Amino acid sequence: MDVGIILSIIISMVFVNNFVLSKFLGLCPFLGVSRNIKPAISMGMAVIFVMTLSGLLTWLVYRFVLLPLGLVYLRTIVFILVIASFVQFAEMVILKKSPALYRALGIYLPLITTNCAVLGVTVLNIDTFFVNGKSLPGGLVLTLLQSFFAGIGFTLALLLMAGIRERLDLADVPKSLRGVPIAFIVASLMSLAFMGFNGFRF
Amino acid sequence: MDMKKTLKEFTKGILRENPVFVIALGLCPTLAVSVSLENALGMGLAASFVLLFSNLLISAIRNIVPARIRIPCFIVVIASFVTIVELLMAAFSPQLARQLGIFVPLIVVNCIILGRAESFASRNTVFLSVLDGLGMGLGFTLALSLIAVIREFLGSGKILGHVLFESFPPATIMILAPGALLTMGLLIGLINLITSRNKG
Amino acid sequence: MQNKLSLSISPHIRKKESITRIMWTVFLCLLPSGIAGIFIFGIRSLWIIFACISTAMLTEALILFLRHKKLAIADGSAALTGLLLAYNLPSTFPVWMACVGSFFAIAVCKQAFGGLGRNIFNPALAGRAFLVIAWPKYMVSFSKPFIYVDSITAATPLNLLKQGRIESIQQAGLDYFDMFLGNRGGCIGEVCIACLILGAIFLLWRRIISWHIPASFITTLALLTFFLGGPQVGQADVLFSIMAGGVVLGAFFMATDYVTSALTDKGKLIFGFGCGLLTFIIRKWGGYPEGVSFAILIMNATVPLLDRFCSPRIYGYEKNT
Repeated sequence: MDVGIILSIIISMVFVNNFVLSKFLGLCPFLGVSRNIKPAISMGMAVIFVMTLSGLLTWLVYRFVLLPLGLVYLRTIVFILVIASFVQFAEMVILKKSPALYRALGIYLPLITTNCAVLGVTVLNIDTFFVNGKSLPGGLVLTLLQSFFAGIGFTLALLLMAGIRERLDLADVPKSLRGVPIAFIVASLMSLAFMGFNGFRF
Repeated sequence: MDMKKTLKEFTKGILRENPVFVIALGLCPTLAVSVSLENALGMGLAASFVLLFSNLLISAIRNIVPARIRIPCFIVVIASFVTIVELLMAAFSPQLARQLGIFVPLIVVNCIILGRAESFASRNTVFLSVLDGLGMGLGFTLALSLIAVIREFLGSGKILGHVLFESFPPATIMILAPGALLTMGLLIGLINLITSRNKG
Repeated sequence: MQNKLSLSISPHIRKKESITRIMWTVFLCLLPSGIAGIFIFGIRSLWIIFACISTAMLTEALILFLRHKKLAIADGSAALTGLLLAYNLPSTFPVWMACVGSFFAIAVCKQAFGGLGRNIFNPALAGRAFLVIAWPKYMVSFSKPFIYVDSITAATPLNLLKQGRIESIQQAGLDYFDMFLGNRGGCIGEVCIACLILGAIFLLWRRIISWHIPASFITTLALLTFFLGGPQVGQADVLFSIMAGGVVLGAFFMATDYVTSALTDKGKLIFGFGCGLLTFIIRKWGGYPEGVSFAILIMNATVPLLDRFCSPRIYGYEKNT
């Protein structure tokens, strides 16, 4: 595996194909939890955690259960169940092991189950790293990388957005644009800026 | 049950409680597939199908399902219908399936569908839930189509793939991500402006 | 007399500078470069500059009127935005498209956020980025200097570099003096480095802009180019990378915009470093030959966070309280 592929995945997931700003995945939490910086950080951490491990789990399930049994068409149902039970499990473990972490991430975990970014990354992993029903060499590592940096990209967008929205609270935004519409316009301009990385080739 | 109230359950989803513009739900598919009117109609149809049948089934089983595990049950119901749509679409319109790509399986996590299941279908009769599902589906499809028409016209100079008139070089940005977010923001702003004017 | 007795919170020491004065000073400092651009690329450049400025001012006036606000278009901020946008366009660019970009810059990037002082992104750069992505074809057709015929187009030195056709400035048939005076393909206001530096020195002297952002921007870009730009360390043409494209215009006149750049000195240094780093990455590995405008826009988005985490400690308090 060479550095080029890894760097390309990083830039692609964080900037070019940023989940929120270019694929529109996870827009609901992006708009909902971006009012202040502190919760945005917690939410971001939770998303990175869940995305990475869900990516890993679903890859294993797909590779060693669905593919050999010829149940590929059940992908959607199985993945959503895997994610939901994983989140549920993670919530219980964190509550037991680290109440402090639970207080920081706790309320965000259930929200993540229905976060389309998580299901999105798992489906995307399968679409990119399986060709004609065969896993690409190194697919597991690439999957982990792609899932992790998709989470980083989401968190970056969320953090920038939270900083901007905190500042916009003080601005005299036209009444009909306040709240969700101006958030969309900010997202549009951020996505415009991120397009500078289009055509990235290492 | 009087006729007027029944009708209201149907029409509310189209205007007053439009899932996309007013409640700002179900945004991911809205923006991603609104590149062209054709995609938007396909997605609208698929989501409406899932919405209708999941509302129907969930309201039918609402008294059997224990309250504590209702959400996982709803998700399984929804995911099953999404899988049916996925398979139907791949069989009858493979081209559309390819264009919508990842966003067909993602109907599962569309907040509109789980939202309606939780807030309406699990508390109302089958008949009302079906009406609600139809209305919400129609509202969703209309909103999606509105965004798609604007983006397709400005971004590729066409409507439904047909060139109307050759007047200006299309602004590619409108069919890319920033154009989608911008259209959405300005449309919601416009709707806010109109509703605040109407209220006086 | 009455005004002098009014009570207010600190700071109490005031300079004579007002927003209007600063804006028009920057505007004046930019003018030589524009005149050079008109001289180099022909009269068409003037129409583009004129169209951008008038659209910007009209849009500003219209929106302020619709929002029942004071018609403060004489403060020069809209005119400056229009001028900067025009400077970032090639002279062959269709005039009506330039107007669309100018409208977008003022209406969406400035007034939607509440007007002067509230915008997050630099309006002129956002307008340019909008045009690059909306009509990419028109943004890359540059006319040859001193030919004055629209149909003859020349690739910019950076374009040639991106396509791998040249490795140094000599192969482009130019020398540093050409680059310095502006005898090359490029956008209207970015080619004449001499005029830009003249204006920049004046602004630095009058303390209207501080040195932090331009210095860290250009140093970062130069160091990265030196170490990573060429096939081997030190082989890349550092001076060329600084003079090519919009680095000078961007570093001195756009990255230093008060509203959209960091407040503290430390924040400014980080801001400039980020601009340089991103510019280098986009130039070296990105799809576009020039990355200055995108780099500054991305850093604009980080400014609220930079201000938050680089804010000075409150006097009398321990660190980490």
